[in-house]
Amino acid sequence: MEYISSGKILVVDLATGNASDEELSDDLVSQKIGGVGITSSLYQSYADEDPIILGTGAFTGSLVPGSALAIFTAKSPRTGTVCHSPVTFKAGMELKFAGFDYVVIKGKSPKPVLLWVHDGIADVVDAGAMWGKDIWEAGDDIRKNMGDDLIQTLLIGKAGESGSDLAQIGINYGGGTDRWGFGKIFGDKNLKGIALRGMGLLEISDAEGFVDECLEMLGEVKKGACAGKSGIGDIMVALGEKDAKEWLAPLVHRNSACYNMPCATSTFICMDEDPKVVVESEKPEPGVLLSDVYGLLAFKKAGFSLEQAGRALKACCKCGIDPVAVAELAVKEGKKDAQSIEQALASMKGPVSASQAKAFSPWAPLQPVFADFGALGDEKATMDWWMRRQALAYIFGIHPVFVTMSPEVSEERMLKLMNIGTGLEVSQETLDGVIAGVCS
Amino acid sequence: MAACRHQDTLALEPGLEIDPQNGRGPRSLLPRGVGSLRSPRIGVYTGPGTSHSWLWFVDLFDRRSLNDVVFLDDEYVRGGLLHGLDVFVVSGGDTFGVARALGREGARAIETFIRTGGVYVGSCAGAYLPMRSSKEYLNWFNFTDIKIANLSKNLPDIKRLKSKACTIYGCGYVFHAVREEVRLRMTGNAPFEGVGEIVAPLYGGAAMVAERPSEVLARYCGFTGKTLFLVDEGEAEKTLMGRAAAITTKMGDGRLFLFGPHFEHPGFPAANELLVKAILWDLRDKPLVPKAAVEEVHFVGEAKKSLLRDIKREISNARIVALGIETFSLQWKIGDKIYEPEKIRVFLEAVWKRLGGLERCGGICMEKGSDTIMADCAGRIVRTLREMKGRLDAGEDTFDLATGLFDALRRFTMVFLEVYFRSVRFLNQEQE
Repeated sequence: MEYISSGKILVVDLATGNASDEELSDDLVSQKIGGVGITSSLYQSYADEDPIILGTGAFTGSLVPGSALAIFTAKSPRTGTVCHSPVTFKAGMELKFAGFDYVVIKGKSPKPVLLWVHDGIADVVDAGAMWGKDIWEAGDDIRKNMGDDLIQTLLIGKAGESGSDLAQIGINYGGGTDRWGFGKIFGDKNLKGIALRGMGLLEISDAEGFVDECLEMLGEVKKGACAGKSGIGDIMVALGEKDAKEWLAPLVHRNSACYNMPCATSTFICMDEDPKVVVESEKPEPGVLLSDVYGLLAFKKAGFSLEQAGRALKACCKCGIDPVAVAELAVKEGKKDAQSIEQALASMKGPVSASQAKAFSPWAPLQPVFADFGALGDEKATMDWWMRRQALAYIFGIHPVFVTMSPEVSEERMLKLMNIGTGLEVSQETLDGVIAGVCS
Repeated sequence: MAACRHQDTLALEPGLEIDPQNGRGPRSLLPRGVGSLRSPRIGVYTGPGTSHSWLWFVDLFDRRSLNDVVFLDDEYVRGGLLHGLDVFVVSGGDTFGVARALGREGARAIETFIRTGGVYVGSCAGAYLPMRSSKEYLNWFNFTDIKIANLSKNLPDIKRLKSKACTIYGCGYVFHAVREEVRLRMTGNAPFEGVGEIVAPLYGGAAMVAERPSEVLARYCGFTGKTLFLVDEGEAEKTLMGRAAAITTKMGDGRLFLFGPHFEHPGFPAANELLVKAILWDLRDKPLVPKAAVEEVHFVGEAKKSLLRDIKREISNARIVALGIETFSLQWKIGDKIYEPEKIRVFLEAVWKRLGGLERCGGICMEKGSDTIMADCAGRIVRTLREMKGRLDAGEDTFDLATGLFDALRRFTMVFLEVYFRSVRFLNQEQE
């Protein structure tokens, strides 16, 4: 595959420490398009080898608004079914520029390792010194040892190392996104995580046409429903938490957007420093980036103050554990403050409530945000809408929150961009088939 | 002359073309009256004192398929490896540093090379080197009576970039009135006849005065919107306008070409064209001295793949850290030359962009032991860069690391490019 792609699938066997690469064929792209269409296909190909697949979407790392997304696909330790979770911030873009569209990770390493993917090279390196460290410490170690602050990390903390079903794969310092226990898979494989950095380039089949279409889409988005919206507070309000912005306001430091997102969906709060002072922080960890809206809502609904919720979420980020589950368990166990939660994190176990969402992580809002997507009808219809929107995001590499707030991300437009960008002819029929396949 | 960035100022005579492989095309004027044609054997000086600008020559030679290129440090020059070359190139850098490294013995080797028919091409520092001077080290290289015009006992008022605007020269200064683009008018003297004006970049290069006007190939004639004035514009005009920017002069059976501006800079194709013209002009047709036999090893299949992957791994790691270091605002003064962090990646990119080509070709060949040298140097580069980043994060000094780093980068790049050009030549021979 020549366009909007690195053209390579990386296959890593942790049992041997060997990495090899395969060509990403035009045929596979024509049939499965990209993202979750291909990670699902790769999962089936390697199903006997206990794989977890990391993949980029068709547009990840491109100029298409919202093209921040990569995807993990694996069998969930919590549900026993094949599920997908989003990889946000700049990690997806970094994977593609590091020279690979997809990474198949199979086997189990005999000792703790880190997968270091950079510029067409994949190194399985010793992570013995990192094992036991929390996600933030391990991320700091990687950035310091490799000498670059821009390295994107997908790491597990103590939850994943100890085999908790609630374990997440933390993305940089911003927590995880899966509700499927994917962190446990890493832990079982002795894989501390993946570090990504690349300085590659993408070729576009019709570059001018592609840029024009992206700019037109961006123009519409800027005039659309998410215009003027910024941060997790606005999303909470859209989900019905009317006082969310006032609740957040005292500790908000800044809002933050993932790669090429027209709308910031994360918010940094400072618990240990004056949030109104914009200077280089003298404290190593003055606060936490809030990107998990349901995680934050869960603590708010449990009666936590923002400061306590922030501390609890920070502990979850560092431990690599699902904050929604933690909040539910905390309520059950009568824990009312961050400190008692932090002390109990390592031993926290389910069961916790199952989400009504299938296949795609219910990390993204389960309903339209800001925008009117027309009459969706009852709960089932809303869930059908959500599944199709998430499928679209996970196939094309569009941020899963962005698709809930921007009707401008239409199937027709995605197909048009796909065909301009790749020179292939992908039809609505093909897209329908891929969506049906990944939603089943 | 397709894809010329400076079409508005280029006035190359219509129909004038150079065939890079053979030295002349069907309508070329080059070279004069030479019967059998061949690609010149070129030596590029890469020893102490050079900056990164020798890599611009490498890019030019690579683009023009002038593949018979070898890389010589000071030891090689002193050791007699100029013998058998057609052209010896000395690029920009620290002139005193180059002179000191080459020493009296190196100076004699270069003089002998030129007097016996070799072509010396000096750009910027490489042009200052053979000019008349009484200063220590430089006085070994008094090959010509060409004088430096941008020399003054009293330093003019420097407006910006003080560290780059002057170099102490005895009791006076060599000062640099402008940087970046300057306009040059050709005099019509061979081999640049038929060309009007071009632009080329000036980064501390000389304005020159020649005794014989017939030796002057180009004169400074103006500035452009991209000229960066380091002194008052009037002072800059007084210093540069009408002075020689490119000169050729005979010495024994050989010749020197001296360029104040960087005619080899990759962003200036019209200047590049003239530089190639100079190199191919008057190319001696006598048989080359056979190359000294070296033990050559070939890497094919899995061995080649593994070797290139190892190099790629280290260079990728190095590029990643180097990019991180570029976020720091700092300079190192090594010798008389100022280095910024951005210079690190110039070396790394010169290697990186050629790895793909080597990956695609059937095999690579090298002098025995080059693989070990490359592995050692690359590992040292990555370790040094990571230590440097750590120190910078901690606010500590990095000068000692920078000195070693640039030395390792120079050595690694030199050996890698030697392997690259050797492999290209081997591939060409195979195809023939």
